[in-house]
Amino acid sequence: MKSLIFGLTAAVSLSSGVASMPRDDKPESKSWIIWADRVYTGTGMNFDAGMVGVGGGKIAIVAASRGSDDESSDRILRCYAVTAGLVDASVRITNGASSVEQSNEIQPNLRVANTLDPFAIEWDRQLRNGVTSVLVNPPDLNVIGGLSVALKTAGADTIAERTLKNDAVLRGSMGSEPSRGNHPAFGRPTDFFSRRPTTRMGVEWAWRKAFYDAAAAANDSTRAFPGSERLVQALKGDLTISIQAWATQDIRTAVFLKEEIESQAEFKNGLNKPRMFIDAAAEAWKEPQLLVRAKIPVVLPPFPAAGRTRDNSFMAWNVAEELRKEGIPFALSSHGSAAPENALAMQAGYAMQGGLPFENALAAVTSMPARLMGVADRVGTLEVGKDADLVLWNGQPFEPSSRVIAVIVDGVLRYDARDKAVAK
Amino acid sequence: MWMRTTQLTALLSLCALAPDAFAGNGKIVIKCGRVVTGNGPDIENGVVVIEEGRIVAVGKDEKAAWDAEVLDHPELVAYPGFVEAHSSRGMDRPNENIEVAPFLDVRDSIDPINFYFEDVLRQGITTINVQQGPLCVIGGQGRVVKPVGLTVDEMTVRSSSGLKIVAGSRPGRSRATQAQVLRKTFGELRAYLEKLVQDKKDGKDYARREALFQGRDMDKDENKNGRAMEGVASWKLENFEIVPRGEVDEKQEPLLRLVEGKLMAFVYCDSAVAVNNALETARSNGFLANTVLVLDGDAWKAADIIAESGVSVVLGPNQLFVERDPLTGKEIETFVPKVFFDKKVRFALQSLNSTAQSLWFQAAQCVGRGIDRKSALDAVTRTPAEILRLGKQVGSLEKGKDGNVVLASGDPLSVTSTVQFVVIEGNLVYDRSKDSRARQLLEGIEQANAGPTKTDDDVPVDPHSGKKAEDTKKKSETDGAKKD
Repeated sequence: MKSLIFGLTAAVSLSSGVASMPRDDKPESKSWIIWADRVYTGTGMNFDAGMVGVGGGKIAIVAASRGSDDESSDRILRCYAVTAGLVDASVRITNGASSVEQSNEIQPNLRVANTLDPFAIEWDRQLRNGVTSVLVNPPDLNVIGGLSVALKTAGADTIAERTLKNDAVLRGSMGSEPSRGNHPAFGRPTDFFSRRPTTRMGVEWAWRKAFYDAAAAANDSTRAFPGSERLVQALKGDLTISIQAWATQDIRTAVFLKEEIESQAEFKNGLNKPRMFIDAAAEAWKEPQLLVRAKIPVVLPPFPAAGRTRDNSFMAWNVAEELRKEGIPFALSSHGSAAPENALAMQAGYAMQGGLPFENALAAVTSMPARLMGVADRVGTLEVGKDADLVLWNGQPFEPSSRVIAVIVDGVLRYDARDKAVAK
Repeated sequence: MWMRTTQLTALLSLCALAPDAFAGNGKIVIKCGRVVTGNGPDIENGVVVIEEGRIVAVGKDEKAAWDAEVLDHPELVAYPGFVEAHSSRGMDRPNENIEVAPFLDVRDSIDPINFYFEDVLRQGITTINVQQGPLCVIGGQGRVVKPVGLTVDEMTVRSSSGLKIVAGSRPGRSRATQAQVLRKTFGELRAYLEKLVQDKKDGKDYARREALFQGRDMDKDENKNGRAMEGVASWKLENFEIVPRGEVDEKQEPLLRLVEGKLMAFVYCDSAVAVNNALETARSNGFLANTVLVLDGDAWKAADIIAESGVSVVLGPNQLFVERDPLTGKEIETFVPKVFFDKKVRFALQSLNSTAQSLWFQAAQCVGRGIDRKSALDAVTRTPAEILRLGKQVGSLEKGKDGNVVLASGDPLSVTSTVQFVVIEGNLVYDRSKDSRARQLLEGIEQANAGPTKTDDDVPVDPHSGKKAEDTKKKSETDGAKKD
């Protein structure tokens, strides 16, 4: 499916092509020409034997043709396929339980960004697997854990400079995880560390109470509490809510929470427009109609080898295809695993084994998570003007028989394994 | 009525996975859109004819017996069943507490109804070398089996496939202890055999009496006669021919066979440190030529001495070795199979589990990391077959070999392919359409007896049985259709 407009752009720019790109001789140079047998733009247009030009950290051209094979320059990177940098909306890179504030179950004003280590080895692991943008959530040991941050996996040495979007979503969790380890009132003496809730219904109660309290605070400033302004933002739809819910019962709870906010009198005056997506929705295949009804997109957890996964849930391998058929927007996630069989690209492959077409699989690891994170204007597709985050593959993306051979982030070649891989 | 049909369906699907309950006659004709023979180029619209369990013809227009069952699937790809060169799965309690137990045989541990043998069929594996686990020094004798059959004997392709030896460390033991026990074992074997010879010279008959006590038939030819010690061990026994072979204690006899070069050794090396110990033990006791190293961890770093020794290797399932540079703290990745491929060491791959990291995945990873497709496929078919000395029997689709064929929906190394049929020795042993577990995993359709699945608010639930009236009706209808 070649576009005439793109073809024309190519013809014009190829003549000046390489030469017209701003170039400098530093190794971190930000201008490249990528020649690929397949260019998967993620916009519905794919080119055989196309090119992507990068200048000033942004995508400068995407074209359906390229120069002759004997043209040679160290600015030209050749590969079998090129896609946009992969995006993971649930990457789970944190400093562990020590970055959970335990004094309160409802912590809407805390920022996970403040706890992140820009030098952690996990960023490199994601980068090697082609993941260039991620959403990092607070750990799910609170009911409402705080504010997630969307950032690049490579770049400057500070989290602030890598950040795509601060306070990208408000993060919380349903199910058994927020109550895990909390002491019940019986069995052992109540101590300083005893926390609530200890059951699923307690978790649900904490969620609802937080929003009702916030709604009251919106009308009566004397009732404000730390973080209530964040909850009000979420109720108004200015801050997306991300809720982890693995099992179908917890997915229901999240859906009903949204529907309650949309319908109850306490949330009138513009507080009834929450935007929500459900993360780790392993059992979304069981009751997709609920998600359709409530207009809630989901992020799927990694495909479990034998179906059984966390929080007692079962994830069938056709879940992604089922969601596509139902018209529910969804993203895939590796939960930060970088092992060859679990990395994000393989999650796309497994979704295809479950019947999902390639284009949808590509969207589920690029443009869709970018949309959920609110950064689709910058990353997720190969379009002129977007951040130059590119993945170069030596074979068909998402097949285990191909691998990521180079990754460009903001125009800088951050990972280069071309010498180690034989191009097909 | 509903219960009856459900049970019947369950029984039928069980039979599909335990086919020897009604084994066929080993006669089948497979017609596929593409046949990957593993022995020359692929054949478009190829035919594989199997009679009496063996392949009699592979080609384009092969004639078949009029009464043969025909699997005609132009949409599928046929390829030789994968061969697992080493696995410690499929057993009940795979590790032996006795440090040196060469007399044990996995025959007594293999569990034919273990879920593993059902699951490997879905991954296209048709031949498995089952070996003791690594928590021992000398673990016992392994066995090559096919993943079908209700008894170990039915499953067996070759008994006594080799001794499991562990050259590295194990939990709670130092490397020094492990190496010392290994040396001591062969030292004790030698001392024991020398004493046998001396006792015989001295006219003592303890060994003979013990053998008779153990119930050995000393009149059989193989027991009655003695013969000189064979093999290339660095130590030799003088006058060993005067000891009738039946008098050798059965606890030591497998080690003697190993030293004489009549038994293979699968030597597990958890790291590079262990490799030298493994090779030295094998070399000095004369079984280097029969040694296969089973490698794990950083054992690949000893690739040069492995290449020099000429032994074959079975590679651990963690193909991508990651270590941190001690100075920069950056991670360095090494793709282990490529190291051995470059050094021209014969290598077979190994599954970590029967799902995502099964043999097809391991082979596919090789292709992405610079090993050509032919060599990658060989590493899960022909090479393990050769390593197991079954090169003439399994590993490719050739005339005369066992009729082990996998039919998949696409290329054997593609993530989108699923195994649809498996034929072992000419019998259809796996049919995806009857595999309720695969359907549950891949299609979200729960097994018939797995309880209620989808909650549909429109359907009233009977408060007494917990069942939905309409659902129950629908179910028995589909069950009826399936039965037909």
